[in-house]
Amino acid sequence: MAKMKKYILISCIILLFSSSGLSQNRDFVPLFNGRDLTNWVLAAPEGFEVILGEMITRSYGPGTDIFTAKSYGNFILRLEFLLSEVGNSGVFIWRNPAIQSNGFEVQLLAPWTPWRPDLYCTGSLYGHVAVSNRPDETPGIWYSMEITCDRELVTVSVNGEITTIADIDTVETLAGKPFTGLIGLQGNHGAKGQYAKFRNIYIRDLDAEPDYVLKGFHDKNDQRRKLARIAAVNLGAEMIQPLAGLLSSENTAARSSARQALFDIVARASDPENPENSRAKVRSAMNKSIQVSSTETTVNYLEWLSGLIAE
Amino acid sequence: MKSAEKISRRKFIRNSGMGLLGFPLLYNATWNVAPSDRIRVAHVGLGGMGNQHIRWFSGFTDVETVALCDVDQSRLAAAAKNLSGFKPGSKVDTYEDFRYIIDRKDIDAITCATPDHWHALIAIMAFGSGKDVYGEKPLSLFVEEGYKMRNLREYNGSVFQLGTQIHAGENYHRVAEIIQSGILGKIHTVRLWKTGGSPGLGFPLNETPPVTLDWDMWLGPAPWSEYTPVRCHRTYRHFFDYSGGVFADFWCHIADIMFMSVHPEGLSTIEARGEVPDDGIADTPKWIDVDFKFKNLNVYWTTNPPAVPGADKMHIGAHFEGENGTITCDYTTKTIKIGNEVTADIPEVPKTISRSPGHQRNFLDAVKTRNLPESHLDYAQEMTLPMHLALISFRLKRRLKWDSQNRQFWDDPAANFLLTRNYRTPWTLPSV
Repeated sequence: MAKMKKYILISCIILLFSSSGLSQNRDFVPLFNGRDLTNWVLAAPEGFEVILGEMITRSYGPGTDIFTAKSYGNFILRLEFLLSEVGNSGVFIWRNPAIQSNGFEVQLLAPWTPWRPDLYCTGSLYGHVAVSNRPDETPGIWYSMEITCDRELVTVSVNGEITTIADIDTVETLAGKPFTGLIGLQGNHGAKGQYAKFRNIYIRDLDAEPDYVLKGFHDKNDQRRKLARIAAVNLGAEMIQPLAGLLSSENTAARSSARQALFDIVARASDPENPENSRAKVRSAMNKSIQVSSTETTVNYLEWLSGLIAE
Repeated sequence: MKSAEKISRRKFIRNSGMGLLGFPLLYNATWNVAPSDRIRVAHVGLGGMGNQHIRWFSGFTDVETVALCDVDQSRLAAAAKNLSGFKPGSKVDTYEDFRYIIDRKDIDAITCATPDHWHALIAIMAFGSGKDVYGEKPLSLFVEEGYKMRNLREYNGSVFQLGTQIHAGENYHRVAEIIQSGILGKIHTVRLWKTGGSPGLGFPLNETPPVTLDWDMWLGPAPWSEYTPVRCHRTYRHFFDYSGGVFADFWCHIADIMFMSVHPEGLSTIEARGEVPDDGIADTPKWIDVDFKFKNLNVYWTTNPPAVPGADKMHIGAHFEGENGTITCDYTTKTIKIGNEVTADIPEVPKTISRSPGHQRNFLDAVKTRNLPESHLDYAQEMTLPMHLALISFRLKRRLKWDSQNRQFWDDPAANFLLTRNYRTPWTLPSV
């Protein structure tokens, strides 16, 4: 019963999220340009090719996967896929090709004989989390898929219907694994002649959104808080005032992570290799933060830190 | 003493916040070694190492332990009790403020085992009052403090010994002899390591300091902070406001054998990599690797042992690579490899370096003879410098170029900014 309640709660949260504009392609950027494999790295030269706006598996067997050039932690990924008869592919999340046990695969599978259980069907986090609402698996037609990695919450939907909701913190087989890594598409994992096709691959990188990143400083998980810190440092000047606000937080973890993030932002801006206008932006945000800070400890820290980029 | 010097010294004393008892603190150039040849010693900072100091120094017949000081009354009382255990019948004065000790004319030498952020200021004030100092490592918290210490020690003629007691051991002397004999050829690479790093220390809430602790005085020149126990006794080392983590703690011990044997010069570039802990409020390295380029010498510091035979069994160590062979050592062992031959010693290499009577004895002898002790200040400062520069590179996450002549980084104002920090009011770093 308690589990059911949690489900309903999570579903409501997702609905809220969706109604606030996530269903549109606003804030989404293409991961696949439809012409070539820019943004992607082939694990094997023959793994995938691009034909008429589609990425198609070319070879078969393990090791023919393709990965994004960049790592992603929190994001919403949208794509369309089509499988041949008995086709077997998947979408890799938080993957590190050098550490095979990192991350997981959202399975893409045409019906097999024998019948594959819900832990290994389309939409499952393969071998880790079964689907709760099994999608249609008819081969030869296009499906849309959305994968949301929102801190510990991973949600998969197919053709707009949620198939899988996973609280990663409760998945024992994923305990201690990183919450970031490459996104990948599995090469044809079936036999010769079978294939998978992908098109319209879009991503909304939540770690590039200041409000989302700021909330990450309150995350109870050390690794996710660290990712928020790294994301904040990448965002730079625009995070300074919100982070300075956290310096007087009652939450010790948020406070100390913010302190470190501020140091790292200013330190990066202070690099003589970086242009003076990036330093000027940081300097201006620091000055504003000093003016609005109420505690002496915060003001002292910010004033000292400003010394790194003094004119 | 010339009057100009007198004025400048008086000015120096005023600037450094001394004269606590209200009388002028002028000393003539004669040193206060008692006629009986006994050295009157006071100990400042009475944690684990401070109590070692009490034990070590009270064990010498020519030492009279006259005063103890700690900002925590409970530590002060415990240390006084320890002293009476080591040396029954000792009569000792106890202070919570070290300036009472600075002001006493009848004290010849102090030892200092406070947290790092106090090291330089206490030593400098002791020099100013004509005292000698046995100071714990690391030498200081900031690069500029080290240079100031050197200037003021030279001006006052004090004896200073850094508390790197492993320096005095047989092993380091023998390793230095073997390297200096030239049998390994010219040393071109040194690998130093210490396993482990700063723990995060969790996310404790701030508390009211215990009534026995003068937290404001504990912080002293460091930035004001609310109190939480992990920032203070025993674990302060894992905060940049007070120290530099495990790396800063152990650098002096193991870099010591490198400076003792090959004394690298002409440091030009420093590039550190590493991470801070994620599981707590500590901000010093969880791990740190550093590449240093000295004149004709590459030095690598790693948190994991390097891939050289035997290193994986040593939690701390130094590995020297010469044209003809290598030597790997820690505090008490050494392994020499020339060609395919592996030995623990090379008897043909003569004993060329005179042995130490012990690190504390060596200091006490220097107090009497006024000679330089084995880990004297100039040596200690040169040895400590690369550690401080590496931590600046770690914090800024970039390769830095050091200008040895001008004692600053090339083309990096932020890195130079981190060479020092203004002390919290009312403390100031005096200058001559």
